[in-house]
Order: sequence, then structure tokens, then C-alpha cells
Amino acid sequence: MKVLAAGVVPLLLVLHWRHGAGSPLPITPGNATCATRHPCHTNLMSQIRSQLVQLNGSANALFILYYTAQGEPFPNNLDRLCGPNVTDFPPFHANGTEKARLVELYRIAAYLGAALGNVTRDQRTLNPAATGLHGKLNATADALRGLRSNVHCRLCSKYHVGHVEVAYGPDTADKDVFQKKKMGCQLLGKYRQVMAQLAQAF
Amino acid sequence: MGPASCLGRPTRMAAGEGRRMASHLRRFLSTFVLLCLMGHASGQGKGAPRDLKCVTSDLQAWDCSWRAPPGAGRDALYDVCIKNRSRTCYQLGKTNTKIPALAPGHYEITISPLQDFGSSISRFILSEKNVSLIPDPPEILRLSANFSTSTLHLEWSDRGSAFPRIANVIWEIKVLRTENMELVKLETLNTTLSGEDTVLRWSWASDLPLECAPHSVGLRRYVDSTHFSGRKEWSDWSPLQTVSGSADIQNKAFPQDKVVPVGSDITFCFVTQEEVSSAQISNTKYPLIHLDGENVAIEVHNISVSISSGTNVVFMTNKDVYGTVIFAGYPPDIPQKLNCETYDLKEIICTWDPGRPTALLGPRSTSYTLFESFSGESVEFKRVVAPINETYQLFFQVLPNQEIYNFTLNALNPLGQSESTIFINVTEKVCPHTPTSIRVKDINSTAVILSWHLPGSFAKIKLLCQVEINKANSVRELRNVTIKGVDNSNYLIAVDKLSPYTVYAFRIRCSSETFWKWSKWSSEKQYLTTEAVPSKGPDTWREWRSDGKNLIIYWKPLPMNEANGKILFYNVSCSSEEKTQSLSEIPDPQHKAEIQLDKHDYIISVVAKNSVGSSPPSRIASMEIPNNDLRVEQTIGTGNGVLLTWSYDPNMTCDYVIKWCNASQPQPCLMDWKKVPAHSTEALIQSDQFRPGVRYHFFLYGCRDRGYQLLRSVIGYVEELAPTVAPNFTVEDTSADSILVKWEDIPVEELRGFLRGYVFYFEKGERDTSKMRGLESGRSDVKVKNITDLSQKTLRIADLQGKTSYHLVLRAYTNGGLGPEKGMFVVTKENSVGLIIAILIPVAVAVLVGLVTSVLCYRKREWIKETFYPDIPNPENCKALQFQKAVCEGSSALKTLEMNPCTPNSVEVLETRTAVPKMEDTEIVSPVAERAPDGSEAEPENPVAVSYCPPVIEEEIANPGAEEAAGTSQVVYIDVQSMYQPQAQPDAEPDAEPGAGGGYKPQMHLPVTPVGGAVAAAGDLDSAAGYRPQASVNAWTLVSPDSPRSTDSGSDAVSFGSPCSINSRQFLIPAKDEDSPPSNGGGWSFTNFFQSKPND
Repeated sequence: MKVLAAGVVPLLLVLHWRHGAGSPLPITPGNATCATRHPCHTNLMSQIRSQLVQLNGSANALFILYYTAQGEPFPNNLDRLCGPNVTDFPPFHANGTEKARLVELYRIAAYLGAALGNVTRDQRTLNPAATGLHGKLNATADALRGLRSNVHCRLCSKYHVGHVEVAYGPDTADKDVFQKKKMGCQLLGKYRQVMAQLAQAF
Repeated sequence: MGPASCLGRPTRMAAGEGRRMASHLRRFLSTFVLLCLMGHASGQGKGAPRDLKCVTSDLQAWDCSWRAPPGAGRDALYDVCIKNRSRTCYQLGKTNTKIPALAPGHYEITISPLQDFGSSISRFILSEKNVSLIPDPPEILRLSANFSTSTLHLEWSDRGSAFPRIANVIWEIKVLRTENMELVKLETLNTTLSGEDTVLRWSWASDLPLECAPHSVGLRRYVDSTHFSGRKEWSDWSPLQTVSGSADIQNKAFPQDKVVPVGSDITFCFVTQEEVSSAQISNTKYPLIHLDGENVAIEVHNISVSISSGTNVVFMTNKDVYGTVIFAGYPPDIPQKLNCETYDLKEIICTWDPGRPTALLGPRSTSYTLFESFSGESVEFKRVVAPINETYQLFFQVLPNQEIYNFTLNALNPLGQSESTIFINVTEKVCPHTPTSIRVKDINSTAVILSWHLPGSFAKIKLLCQVEINKANSVRELRNVTIKGVDNSNYLIAVDKLSPYTVYAFRIRCSSETFWKWSKWSSEKQYLTTEAVPSKGPDTWREWRSDGKNLIIYWKPLPMNEANGKILFYNVSCSSEEKTQSLSEIPDPQHKAEIQLDKHDYIISVVAKNSVGSSPPSRIASMEIPNNDLRVEQTIGTGNGVLLTWSYDPNMTCDYVIKWCNASQPQPCLMDWKKVPAHSTEALIQSDQFRPGVRYHFFLYGCRDRGYQLLRSVIGYVEELAPTVAPNFTVEDTSADSILVKWEDIPVEELRGFLRGYVFYFEKGERDTSKMRGLESGRSDVKVKNITDLSQKTLRIADLQGKTSYHLVLRAYTNGGLGPEKGMFVVTKENSVGLIIAILIPVAVAVLVGLVTSVLCYRKREWIKETFYPDIPNPENCKALQFQKAVCEGSSALKTLEMNPCTPNSVEVLETRTAVPKMEDTEIVSPVAERAPDGSEAEPENPVAVSYCPPVIEEEIANPGAEEAAGTSQVVYIDVQSMYQPQAQPDAEPDAEPGAGGGYKPQMHLPVTPVGGAVAAAGDLDSAAGYRPQASVNAWTLVSPDSPRSTDSGSDAVSFGSPCSINSRQFLIPAKDEDSPPSNGGGWSFTNFFQSKPND
């Protein structure tokens, strides 16, 4: 049975992925066109670092606000309910080249942006009065969009990478409320963890 | 059918049907007895069929069976005959047969085996009562489950068509749970068979979620036909049908996302294959109830209200935490304060208060439906999120040709619903929108047209509108007007009775004629009405110049309500019988004109003109009738004005005029005037120009036919204040006991009231030390004089002390209070007589005391002499002073004083000294003299003859060099103590060092001569330096510091008394004073008495 569970669960998760899920595809070949809507800033890396520092600075507060809004026993069982056990989270290797790190950062930002969108949608229904939480989730999603845009600019302008295959997490729309709460909490726990890692790596 | 078989028949009585059993018991017993008797009566043999038994399942056919006789094979044939009116027989190859239901009655049934085994025929008496009704087991058509609601739905057919008649049916349904088939529900249903097959349904909500355990359902029936007299029994149970939890569910808790009422009991279960360690809701743990496998459940009683995100229920395994969320809330409260009204008769707005919060938000929140029963239309209110302070309202479109509405507001949430109703006539529930587009248009100077726009379909009703008219400095005015409503159009009304050339502010609100609510006020619209002709002429006065030739004409500007417009200019004319003089078009800001007249009898006319026309003329006579009986009076106002009164005078035919001006201004002056009717006898004069503390001059004029006559002249204040300055005062004269003070008047402007007097304070005191503090507080040392005689300008202050400083303060006061103070310091002159007396009296007293003292001293001189100057015995007669020569010669250190007579008071210095002086006067050897051999030979030619004490002479001889160097006579100090020692201690150690210690301290220098003589003697002594103290110089420093000599520490002549007078050779200290304490040199000495101060 354990074998079955170990095999079925990832399979179910994979089935929830959108088109393109699975192992990320290679980056754009070198001869592909790479264009951005607007000219990139010259100090992109500095902006990326600042954005990472900003996101890392607010990650813990967002995490606390989230699990507090879910009610007991979430605040008292963080390790079991909100542990950073997010499967299929894009990997990050801090010792890679800048280009590789930026590609991984882009995938992480895309993953987190989509997942935060799910969390925000779920919380609007579940906690309609928690406007503070909604605001922070929206702000974080906005910041992630900005980060992804800057990373894209950097990849495009310096490394001529115009397209990066990304993967998204499972959709929570058909999950029960407890699953939504738990998955959201785990995601934000992972977000907090990975942001600390990213802020240090860049 | 034997008794045994009768007893052996099983009783198919279901448990729990005692009620029915009681009703059937009687029938059963009677049947039993009848069959037993029947069996005995038939007398069957052992080889006959027996135990005939008939049952029916549908009341239409009886299924009868019997037991074959022993030895009969399976394929034995029987001849069965039913005998009643006719005989009907069957041949059967089995031991049972189904026969149509027999009509009521008794039938003989004969069963005989066709193969003759020698057995007999069995005969049975059969009736309906011997037949049992046992229905067929019901068949479940469908068993379904709603997992979300944990509800089982059961469907089966009653098979009513199988029964010929209507019969009641009792159904019994059982629900079994888990694999152990635990009975969790047993329910009975009653139905009626109608002769047709009917599908019956039954639902049951499980307290345990269906996913967590299999649930099996079975049922049976009992047909209670009133037309069947036989025994009725329960059918067998139908085959069980089971609803199992989903097999692929793992690690899930149920129910999921369920909404339950607060306070309800609920069971949560968890489907898993892992071992569950604990379960908890929020932070409260609950005991586990084990189900099949590892599945568990918990029971929660009286669940409390959830937070907005729901109540979390978690099950913990060793690997992970699983859970579900439950939403405990309340069903919707009855909507309160439901109110429906319309702004515009196009749309009805219904508002309500939702009442108690349901604690259910988002998709679980309450939805509202507004249903109108006459039209059948409804609108819905649904929100996903719950903003704070949300307004609960719904809009319902007004239907054409419908005025009456019956609304039902239905509130619905997952836990229930509630409703509230309201019945309205929409035309009576009109609260119009706020009127807009306010416009004003002139009609004339006192009327305007007011128009506004009001959206709404009001064509069917009349509107009641209210116009607020605001005028500056006036009370607001409200006017109601009823107008016929129109559809989305402008409304206009005429507003009259306004004042010309006045700024008005209009605003409007409306309601329906059948008043419900006012709309909000529209914005204000200001409007200035047009001008009209001035309604009155200006208030006029005139003043003659002091030369009596020019007349100044004053007039006041017309108030707005009389000017009726902007006054452009004034026309002034002076007319007499002979001629008329005019001043035309004097512009408005100017309100006076001067005209030269040759005589005093004119009528002055003033006319104000604005853009519309001229005012009526205002006339006044120029003549001023003299009044010789006039005096100036005083008056005090009331703070806000001055009240003038006068006696009624019938001669005053027109009016009175009071004019006033500032009293400090030169005449003619005019600040303002006031006209009062002729019949008045008083007037309160008030003016914004009045100021407290200012003196005003009021003139009362009476109007006669020919002109005005000054009747009264009054000065006064509207309010008196304290003076602002102190009166200037000076000191006119000063004596030893009085001061004359003179002061000046205070100017009227600074007086600020009528002067009531002065207050004069005075007290002893000097400029630097005395401060006139708290003069008003009644200090006892301050003297106060209140001067109320205003003509008094001087004041003499008497009974003062001579040569004493006085502090004088003067203050003026009015009814308004005391003014500031002004002060000065004055010193009275000295009293000379007293001074003389003060000197003479002490002198006289001193003389008198001296005389008395002299007389007393003279008369007591013997006593004084004995006391202060006793006779001194002659030392020559004292044996104590007879030193033995041998003793003296044996010791060079021992010195004795030979009291030879010597010549006092002279030291004779000889010109030539002998080398070896002759010592014949004394045997005393000076210690200095012992060193004589060193120097005695140095100056042998310088002998000194000293007519003094012999030791001194010896010393002089022993030190001739020093004597010569000094050039003066030498005086040798003699240690008096050593000299005295032989007297006091004759046996003392002879080696005692003569200069050691200085044990003797002279107490005083006691002159024996009178004062004058002592002074003289002292002078002699100084000049001769005849005396030197015996002790060391340091010892003398203990002398009184008052002593002049003690201060002269650098002088060699420092000395202070001695017990031995060199001049007299006598001991100055009486013997009897030996016991007196020795002087320390700082005590009082008589000498000191005469040496008190150098400058004395």
C-alpha cells in the first residue's frame, strides 16, 4: 500500500499540472529571437537583489498572517501542517553560473506566482473578511511578477534567453477546504524558506 | 394435523410487535384449538397424510401442504378433494397444492393417497381462520447514498397490485453499520396498499459519514388486511443492500466542508490505513472511536461557532496530519426593519437589517430573495464576500399600473431560511431624490420664480415641496407648496413677499403629498432681488456753525430695508418763503452738507435717490430756539447705553432729538443723534461708538413748530472706569511735626469717570526700605485720609515725628475704582529743643555723679588708702631678708638682694669708667657679671657709676663695651623671681637657673600715685627706661591687647608693670594677694581704664 501511495500521489499531482508540466524544457536556443517590451534597466541585477531582499523581508510576516488566519491547530502544528513540503518545486542551485541561477529563479518566481494566485483565490472565499491577508498576498504576487519581469529582462538582454519552460504546482480549486489551507500554508512555508536562500544567493 | 404439530408450529412474531400480537393472540388461540379438535375428530390413522397447513401471501391463493404418510415415496400421488357445495378433487404428485382462496366458511379437505398402502383418507376441516397471511419479502428497488449529506435513500415497491383489497402495510427498515452489522437504525413505516404497485422511498441521514463505514439496509412488511380473518405474520427480511465507502478513498476525513448549526452534535471520521494517534478540534483532543480497519471517528457534542475560515478537525498519524473543516453557524435570522420605498417611482428600494450574524461567510453566507406576490417577480441578493457595514438592500422595478406591492424577503443559507414581509402602496412611500438645478428668475423687486429639477415619474402624484428662504440677519422662512408631479421634468413656483434689493438664499426639498419622507435639501441658491424706490427719506439733523451763518446738514444712510437699492446720491434743499437753495447729487458716501444761509428760518429737505427713483423728502427746520434756563447735568449709563428722561411738554409738537458727542471735542460736535416721538419722556441712547470711561455730552432738543430748542445738556459716561493716572502732588511745607501737601486736578480724559475723591496714605519709611505695600489692606502702620471734598487741593498732615522719613501716597478714585498711586518720601525737620535737652541731661547727671563720688572719696579716703594703698613694711626690718654672708659667698650662683637705700629716679652715667668697679653696695653677683673677665678688661677706662641698685652697677661694669656702643646708659634686667626666691623658698636648690621658666608673671603695674601723677611718672619712666620686665619678652605678650605697649612688640621698651618698682624698691604686690589667682596678662587693669582708645 505504501508503494501504491508513493506512486499514486505524485501521479495525481502530475495530472493536475498544466500543459508543459514535467521536467522543464531546455532554454531557448541561441538563435531564437529575444525581445522585451521595454528596454531593460542597466542595474537589473541590483534591482533583482533588492526585490529578493524585499520579498525575503516580508515572507515571514506573510507566513504568520496566513497560518494565523487559518485558525487552530495551524499555529501550534507548523512543522506538520505548514512544513515546506511542496513537491515539484523548481530546484535552485546556488553554486551555478549566473545564467543558470537566473533561469532557476525565473522558474521559481513563475511557480510561486501561480501558486500564490491560487492561495489568494482560496482565501478570498474562505476568509472574505481577512482583507489584510488578501492585501499582502496580492502585494507579494505583484512583487513576484516584477521580479520575474526583471529576471526575464536580464536573461534576455545578457544571455539572450527569451523563453524558459516553467512548471506550476497543482491547482487547488477542487480540493477541500482543509487541503487548501494546508497546501497554502506549506507553500508559504516553502516560499519563506526559498526566499531566504535566494536572497543570500544573489 | 395432530396436537403435536399444532404446538410445534413456529410463531413468526417479530420482536417489538407486541401491540399487534395482542390483537392476533385471541384469533390464534381459537384457530389452534379448532385444528386440534379437527384432527381428533377426523380419526386419521397412522398411514394417512397429516399436518395440513395453508398459508397465503397475497390473499388470492392459499398454499396448502401436508406431511406424507410414512412409507410414501416422493412420487406418491394424492387425491385431494375440497368438499363444500360441490366436490372438487385434484390428483397431485406432491404434498402441497395451491388452491384459490376459499370463500368464508368451512371446507372439508380430504387427502387420500392413490397407492393404497392400507392407509386411510385424511380429512381436514379448513376455513380462512386456519390460513396464515405471510407476505412475500419486499424487494429493495434501489439503495443510494448522498455522501455529502451522509444520507441513504431507499426505494422499494409495495406490490399493491398483488393484493385484491386495500390493506394497511407496516414496513420495518433496519440499517446495519460496519462489517459487524451493528444495528444503528430500525424504523417502522405505515402505508396502505391501493391495489397498484407503488414505489416507496425512505431516506435516512447517518450521523457517521457514509464514507467511513459500510451501511446495509433491509426491510420487511406486515400486511394488516381487515378482510382476512386468518393469522397475519411478518414477511421475511428482504435481502440486505449495502452502501460502502469509496474504496479508493484514503487518508481523508469526513464530513468535508460541512455547514452545521451551532450547538449540534456531529461525528467526524477518518478513512485511513495508517494508525491514527490522536484527533483534535482546534486544540481540543477527542477520544477515538475505532471503525473497520484503521478507520476512526470522533464525536463532538454541542459544537461552538466557527471562525470565518471554519473549524479545523485534524487526525494525526505517525506520518502526517489530515483533517477537514466544519463550518458551525446559525441559520439566517428573520430580516428586521424591512422597509421599501422609492425615490422616483421607477424603482423600489427595500432595505433591511439581517439581524443576528450567521457566522457564515463567503459561499456559505445568507442569500436573500425579494419576492413580490402580485406580480410573481423576484430579485435576488447574493454576495460572496462580506464587506464590513454592508448595506442590505434590493432594487425592484416599479411595475406599470401597479401601486400595491406585497414583498416577501426570504433569507436562505445552508442551515435554513427565514422570511419577512411588507405590504406597501408605492405612491405613499416616496422619498424623492435631492432637487437639483435650482434657478431663480425675477418677477419684480419683491417676487421671483424658483425652478428646480427633480428626477422621477411623479405624473401620478402630487408633490409637496418646501422652500427655505434665508435672508441675512433674519429668521429663516419656510414656505410649503403643493405642485402636480411630472415625469423627469423641472418644477417652478413663484416666491413673493420678498424685500427689494436683498440677497436671499433659497433651497428646496420635496416629498409626496401623502407625506412619507422629505428629500435632502438642495444646494443653496443665492439671489439678489431688484431695486425699488427708497421707502423713506433719510434721518436728518442740522447744526449751526458757531458763527451762525453756515448750517451743516447731517443725514444718516438709509437702512437696506428702506433704501431698497443702492443709494446713488442725495439732494438737499433749503427753502424759505422767499427762496430755495439746493445742493444736488451729493454722492452717497457723503452724509452731510454745509450751506450758507442768510437767516435762520429755513426748512431743509433731504432726498435719497437710487437707480429706480427718489425717496420721500425728509424735512427739518433750521431754526434753533434759545433756552436761557439751561444747566449741565451728570448722568451715568447702564453699561450699554445712557437713559435720558424728561418731563412731558405739550409744547413740543413734533419730536425730540437727542444728539451726543465726545465731551472732549470742541463745539459744535456731533457723533450721532436719535429722534424719539413727541409723546416720549425718555430715551435709551445706545451706540456702538460708546466706550467705557469716555465722557459724552448729550443734548436734548425739543421740536416746536418753528424749530428746535435745547432742553437739557447732560454729560455722562456709559460706564465709569478708574482713573488712569495719579494726581500730581507736591510738598508745600515741612515742619518737625507736620507736612503740607498740595495736588493738581486730573485731566478729564484720564479721569474716565466723575471724580469722587482722593485717598491719601502715609507711613514712616525711607526710600530704600519702605515700600507702600498693601495700603488698602488696612495695615495698622499706614494712616489713610479720604478726601471727598473735591475743592480741597491741599492737606496738612500733623502729629508727625521730627527728623523722620515719611512715605506719602495719593490716589484719586471714581465710581469705577481707585486710580494708580503716586508717592514720595518726605523727612520732617529736626526738633532742636529736644536735642538740647537730650545733651544737657546726661552732662548734668555725669557732673552730679562726679561730685558725689568726690565727696564720698574724700570722706572715705582713709579707707580707700587702707584698701588700695596700704603701708608697705620696711624690708630692712624684716629678718627674712638678712642673708648670711657665708652662704652667699659659698655659691656664686646665689644672689641676694641687699636692700640698700638708693637714689631713685636717676641714673647717672659717668664719663670715665673704672676698670674694676668697686662693689660695695651689694653682694649680689649678676650672672652677667660672671662673664666679666671676657670683657671687663676691654674697656677698663670706661667706668660707669650708677646711682641705682648695686647689681645693675655691677653689670654695667661687666659689660662696658656694650654700653659704649649703645651710647646710652645700660639697664640690666633682674630676675625678680630669683630675687624673690630666697624669701619664699630659702632652701631651694642653689643651682636653679635664674632665667629658667619665667615662673613669675606680673599681674599689673600698680601706681600708688593718683591718676595725674601716675601719668607723669610713666612718662618719666619711659624717658629713663628705668624699668624692664624680668621675664622673657615672649611671656609678656599675654598682656591685654588693649595695652598700647603690647602692640609695640618690636620695641625694647616693652614692659608692663612689675612687682618691684625700680623707683621705689618696694614690692607692689601686697603679701595678702599671694592667694589671688595670677593674672594672665589679659585681665582688666586700672591702667587700661585710662588707656581705652588712642583717639580718645
